[in-house]
Amino acid sequence: MENEASKLFFAGIDIGSTMSKAVVVDAQEAMRGYVVGPTGAEHRRRANKVMEDVLLKAGVTLDQVAYIISTGYGRVNVPFADKQVTELTCHAKGVASLFPEVRTAIDIGGQDAKVLKIKNGRLTDFLTNDKCAAGTGRFLEVAAETLGLGLNEMGRISLQSDTPIKINSLCTIFAQQEIISRLSEGQPLTDILAGVYIAVTTRVVKLARQLKVEPPVVFTGGVAKNSGMVKAMEIVLGIPVLIPEEPLITGALGAAILARDEAFKLVQDGHYMMQKKQLSEAYIEFTEKGR
Amino acid sequence: MSEYFLGVDIGAAASKAVIIDGQNIIMGAAVIPSGTNYATTAAAVKAEALKQAGLQLSDITSSAATGIGGRNAGADSYHGVIICDARGVNLTFPGVRTLIDIGGQGSQVITMDENGRVINFNVSEICATGSARLLQVVARILQISIDEIGPLSLRATKPSSFSTSCTVFLETEVITRISQGDSPEDILAGIHRSIADKISGMSRGVALEKDFAVIGGGALDIGLVQAIDEKLGIKTLVPKNPRLMAALGAAVIANAH
Repeated sequence: MENEASKLFFAGIDIGSTMSKAVVVDAQEAMRGYVVGPTGAEHRRRANKVMEDVLLKAGVTLDQVAYIISTGYGRVNVPFADKQVTELTCHAKGVASLFPEVRTAIDIGGQDAKVLKIKNGRLTDFLTNDKCAAGTGRFLEVAAETLGLGLNEMGRISLQSDTPIKINSLCTIFAQQEIISRLSEGQPLTDILAGVYIAVTTRVVKLARQLKVEPPVVFTGGVAKNSGMVKAMEIVLGIPVLIPEEPLITGALGAAILARDEAFKLVQDGHYMMQKKQLSEAYIEFTEKGR
Repeated sequence: MSEYFLGVDIGAAASKAVIIDGQNIIMGAAVIPSGTNYATTAAAVKAEALKQAGLQLSDITSSAATGIGGRNAGADSYHGVIICDARGVNLTFPGVRTLIDIGGQGSQVITMDENGRVINFNVSEICATGSARLLQVVARILQISIDEIGPLSLRATKPSSFSTSCTVFLETEVITRISQGDSPEDILAGIHRSIADKISGMSRGVALEKDFAVIGGGALDIGLVQAIDEKLGIKTLVPKNPRLMAALGAAVIANAH
C-alpha cells in the first residue's frame, strides 16, 4: 500500500475573488508544480483550466491524482474536487508547511484580509475583513487606477520615500479623493504612494493586533508580492516578516497537503481505488461538457 | 437701517450661502459646487447670495461659517456643522427633534431640544456608504444624473439586494446585477436600502424623537427619504431646500451673536 501511494499525486485548487491557484504535491508533500491565473467571471471554466495547466506543469496525468481539494471564495465551482475545505484551514496548513514555526499569518487578498494565529502548525484563532475595501488589495487597485500606475510600478516608486504622508480617510472612496488633493497640493508622488501602503497596512495590522501579533509573522496573499507593501508591513508591525517564494499559493498548497492526508486516510480504510475512478470520470465528463 | 447676516457652509461636495435679516427671514441664498480652493469657492458663493438678496458685502453686519472648508471662508466666526444643522432646522421646522443630514462626504443623526440646542449626535464620515457619495458612484455606472435617481427608484418592483455594504464592493456588485438583468429602478431602490441600513446603524444609541427631518444633498432624493422612512418606521419632513440648512443655521448664529 505504501508503494502504491508513493506513485500518486494530490492537488489543491484555490479559486479566489481575483486569482485562481492550483498546486500538485507528491506523497512526500513536496510541491511538484503550481499555477496562478486570474479568476474572471466564469469560475467553472477557470477551475478546469487551472487544473489542466497544473498537471502539465507537474508532468502528471489526471489518473495519477488521487485526491483534489478545492478552497477559496469559488470553491463550490470546482465540480471535480473530492472535497471543499475553507480557506482558513488551507492557509494555515500551507503556511505551516513552509514555515513550521509560524505564529501569526497575515494574508491580504484582492477583496479581503485574514489574520491567522497558528501554534504547532494548527489554526488557533482568526479574524477576517471582507466587509470594507480599505485594508484589502482593492484599496491598492483603486489607488493605482487613480494615479494611472501599474501595481508593481506603484510599489517600486513608493520605495524611494522615507517620509510617507498620512492618508486620513479610512474609506477607499474618500482616500481616492484625498490622493488627488495631495497631488494637486504638490506633495511628491513617492511620499503619497508610501502613505497609501502605510494606510492599507495600518488597517490590517489593527485587525491583527486584536489577536496579538506574535513572531514569526508570515505575510501572504497577492498583496505580499508588492515591495512597497512589504516595507510598509515591517514599518507598521515593527518586526520583520517572512514571505513565501510564491505568496499567492499558500491556500492551494495547504489544500493539496490536506488532499494527501485525506487520501492516505482513505487508502488506510480501503476506499482509495474507488475514489480515484470516480474522480477521473467526473473530470472527463466535465471537460467534455465544459467546452 | 436694517441689519443682515450671512451664513456660509463649505461642504465636501457643495458650498452654500444664506443671507437673513434681523428677523431671521431669508433674503437670498446660493448653492455652488465646492472646488478645490475653498477660499475662492467661499467668495463666489457669498457673491451669488448677495446678488440674490440685492445687497452688498458692506450691508452684512456679521457672518458665520461652517462645513469642512468653512475655516477658509473669511467669516467672522466658525461653528461646527452639527450645531448649524440643528439651528437651521429649528428655524424651518420648530417641531423637529431628530434630524438626519446626508451629505456628500458623511452623514449625521442629531437630536435637539425645542430651542435647536443639540442633545446628542452620531457622525459617520469614515465610510462612503453612509453618504450621498454612493449615489454619485451608482449614477455614474447607470449613466443617469443624480436628479433622476429618486423618481426612477420609486418605480422599482423588486429592489435588488446586495451582499456588501462597502461602496467599492457595491460598485462591482451593481455591475454584476446589471449583467444579471436587474433593472436600474430595482438597483437604485436596493442602493437606497443599503444607505438606509447604514443610517439606521448610526442612529443606534441616539434616542429618536419626533418630528423627524432629513436634510443635506441626500434629502433631494425622494427614493432615499422613503427608504429611510421605511427602515426607521418614521415619517420625515424635508425642507424646501434641504442643502441650505447648515448655512441658514450659521446665519442665525451670526444674528444671535
